Amino acid sequence: MWWYIGRRALQAIPVVLGATLLIYAMVFLLPGDPIKALFGEKPVNETIRASIEAQYHLDDPFIWQWLQYLGGAVTGDFGLTYSQRPVSDVIGQAFPVTLKLSIMALIIESVLGIAAGFYAGLRKGKLFDSTMLVVSLVVIAIPIFVFGFLMQLIFGVKLGWAPITVGGDASIQNLLLPAIVLALVSFAYILRLTRTSVTDNLSADHVRTARAKGLSDRSVNSRHVLRNSMIPVVTYLGADLGTLMTGAIVTEGIFNVPGLGNEAFRAINRNEGSTVVSIVTLMVLVYVVMSLLIDLLYAWLDPRIRYA
Amino acid sequence: MPESYKLPPPGQERFLAPIDETPLEETGTLDTSSPPESQWKEAWKDLRRNWLFWVSAAMILLVLVVVIAPGLFTDLDPNRADLSKSLDPSSSGHIAGYDKQGYDVFARMIYGARASVLVGLLTTILVVVLGIATGAVAGFYGGWLDSLISRVADVFFAIPLLLGALVMLSVINNRFPDRGEFGAIIAVVTALGLFGWPQITRIARGQVLQVKNMEFIDAARAIGATKRSNLLRHVIPNSLPPVIVTATVSLGIYIVAEATLSFLGIGLPFGVVSWGNDISAAQNQIRSGQRIGVLFWPAGALAFTALGFILLGDAVSDALNPKRRSE
Repeated sequence: MWWYIGRRALQAIPVVLGATLLIYAMVFLLPGDPIKALFGEKPVNETIRASIEAQYHLDDPFIWQWLQYLGGAVTGDFGLTYSQRPVSDVIGQAFPVTLKLSIMALIIESVLGIAAGFYAGLRKGKLFDSTMLVVSLVVIAIPIFVFGFLMQLIFGVKLGWAPITVGGDASIQNLLLPAIVLALVSFAYILRLTRTSVTDNLSADHVRTARAKGLSDRSVNSRHVLRNSMIPVVTYLGADLGTLMTGAIVTEGIFNVPGLGNEAFRAINRNEGSTVVSIVTLMVLVYVVMSLLIDLLYAWLDPRIRYA
Repeated sequence: MPESYKLPPPGQERFLAPIDETPLEETGTLDTSSPPESQWKEAWKDLRRNWLFWVSAAMILLVLVVVIAPGLFTDLDPNRADLSKSLDPSSSGHIAGYDKQGYDVFARMIYGARASVLVGLLTTILVVVLGIATGAVAGFYGGWLDSLISRVADVFFAIPLLLGALVMLSVINNRFPDRGEFGAIIAVVTALGLFGWPQITRIARGQVLQVKNMEFIDAARAIGATKRSNLLRHVIPNSLPPVIVTATVSLGIYIVAEATLSFLGIGLPFGVVSWGNDISAAQNQIRSGQRIGVLFWPAGALAFTALGFILLGDAVSDALNPKRRSE
């Protein structure tokens, strides 16, 4: 078990390094002069330019910049933004907000998606099932920002049940509406995945055996059908936390949530290499850690899977 | 043999010994020399009976007609703005009314189809070609090539599509500020494709690994097929079904992704008539609760198109997956 975890963690290192290198190369290829942008209308002072260039290593080849970035990152120094704020500070403030928003969305989508998908799968072809299938397809086909606007209009502007924008106060109550919007698309996928998985499992041999030995419908459904249907769903959920955190770029923009997505978007527009790379690296780390956790969850869900 | 006896469909024949005095040759009435039906023919037979397939095909066909001949649906110019008509409701000849800038909303919906569908189609083609090439080579040849391709794919896969595309597009936008309408479309396609291919690579690789160990591949080897021709003529065609299903569904997803990028102001520039841009422009009217129709038309068209491709993917998936075939 520990061997397995260690090996997987080692395998993740080149992926994380490769991803930072890739993003670093892309950001480095950005032309444009950030120093000139800092000065705005005023003429650029050459001594200040030289000192900024030295501070951000802007004159070095990008591989060297990347290595220096990595060296700093190992000791927890992720560099400064162009407004001289430590990147770790920016992320430290924004990450908890986005994490909270994404986890809320993850809970909403998994509870509702699994419940609705399970119920639909048990009653395949009935009214509830068909309605849910249509609903899920429509949800997937409509971009998330359209839902965002509509919900903002209905619940924020018209009904006044939720704040229109979140602003500085990122409490659970304020984040509820953005979290629901964020959860919508994944809810549809989870619903469909659970439904397919449940219908496949209903005709499986072990379920027939369970029924044949006289177990009640309730216990067959919950202990044999549901649990065995969870493997693909759990796989999806694991990969989804990362997707939710990037999906938050749009949702956070609509509801003005002070999270990572907002920061990422701002940093990309400002060509702020170290911030962009740090945020992307963080997302990749979330993805890598989640996939490891999911792998370990499999062993619990399906006792046939053992890690040596 | 009695008249009422009908031959069962291919693959389900029961070779029973004749119980009467029929001479043995009679079993030969099963025409064994006719070629077996390919999985594609089987799938097509199944698809034809699925109403979902026909609905989605009709939806896609309608969208394609709009893309090829927008003039059939409206005589108006999508780029003609009349500020005096800003936010006017619908009137005769203008069923969707006008947006903030005084553009005709319906005309823009019709002409916006081209950019969206082009992005979806081109991205899917790019992703499928790249994904099959890399996945097939990795799965078929194995060894260091497999390790190399798989690790590179892992790196691209670990970066979220939207975030990666955002960074890539801001690079392209800065490098080529004047790239014209088609150039802008190609830029979005490149950005989405760059982070989309590993999904297909993984599916294609897994499929090739399964197919290459099947007996008919050994048989082809035995009658002298080279490794290369085996890969191109036998392994790849037989690995395609799951790739096609994923590609069809992701075509719809890419159309939605393009709209999201344009909404963020980094996809297609404002000069290009596209649904994403129009939805983005409508957001202020939505916030203040004026004229929801300005949002409804482009968003509806986008959802209709994406839904068409997602439904088609569903239908094709059922047809190509014998286990899940609907009876």
